[in-house]
Amino acid sequence: MKELKKAPLEKFPDSHHDIYSKTVFGFWLYILTDFMLFATLFAAYAVLHNSTYGGPPAKDILSLDTAYIQSHVFLISTLCISFSGMYAHRRQAKLVNFTLIVTLLLGFLFLFLQFHEFHHLLQKGHSWVKSGYLSAYYTVVGTHTLHVVLGLIWIVLLIGSTFTRGVTPATIRRVVCMKMFWQFLNIIWVFIFAIIYLLGFI
Amino acid sequence: MIDKHHGWNSSVKPIVLGFVISIILVFSSYQIVVYRHLSGSVLTFCVVGLAFFQAMMQLIFFFHIGLEDKPRWKFGMFLFMIFLASCVVLGSMWIIKNINSNVMMQMPMHAH
Repeated sequence: MKELKKAPLEKFPDSHHDIYSKTVFGFWLYILTDFMLFATLFAAYAVLHNSTYGGPPAKDILSLDTAYIQSHVFLISTLCISFSGMYAHRRQAKLVNFTLIVTLLLGFLFLFLQFHEFHHLLQKGHSWVKSGYLSAYYTVVGTHTLHVVLGLIWIVLLIGSTFTRGVTPATIRRVVCMKMFWQFLNIIWVFIFAIIYLLGFI
Repeated sequence: MIDKHHGWNSSVKPIVLGFVISIILVFSSYQIVVYRHLSGSVLTFCVVGLAFFQAMMQLIFFFHIGLEDKPRWKFGMFLFMIFLASCVVLGSMWIIKNINSNVMMQMPMHAH
């Protein structure tokens, strides 16, 4: 009986051949492409940010304080989901579930604030058809909001997964990927807050 | 503080430190815009600079970007993304600025 000779893993120059490292790295590559997507949207915003077509400037229609509160809410939710990832690595299932639920609630609060702002803007008639600036604004912030909505759906499914299966190698991978996604959304929001809200109020 | 090999995934310090630094940076940018401690192009530069610095801090403390051991695939791919994103964003801004300054605006009334 021939025995297949397998090279021991330590001989490889790169030790990241386990499925966890490959999954996390692959997800990181996806996050980088999502960064590219937002880069193109920000490029469009950079070009169009003064094209208000005679309409009111950003400081008259946007609410800086709402966005500031949203920044804090999202930062706290990122803190929670980072703890989720940490507890997953420590195999503490109950704390993973708890922090995921808190993240979900804070995410809903963020969405509520965001849709409240959109509703307020649309009621005053500042829709995306009115000017290039408004189109760019709704595209950037709307894409971020869409990412948050999909992220929240994913968190709900993940909570279902961790509640029923506990902390297994598979659920650790999923919690870590979710954590990376939410932290990525936080970084995008940092740029939205700085470039769209703060620079609009100068 | 941050154990490069296995500890950083399960330690509290980078998470809390990243959070505190981000709160401070968001607070500072909000303060300097609302209370006008600076003005003009210095203000714009500071706000954008603080935003990039905060993004970098979040990338380091939450994503652990520069802190992996060799081969640094994560960091290398990130630098490639930065290069492409800079080309797209700065390139678009440069080209449109050139077009706007080199192409005359059509007057609404034509003298026919």
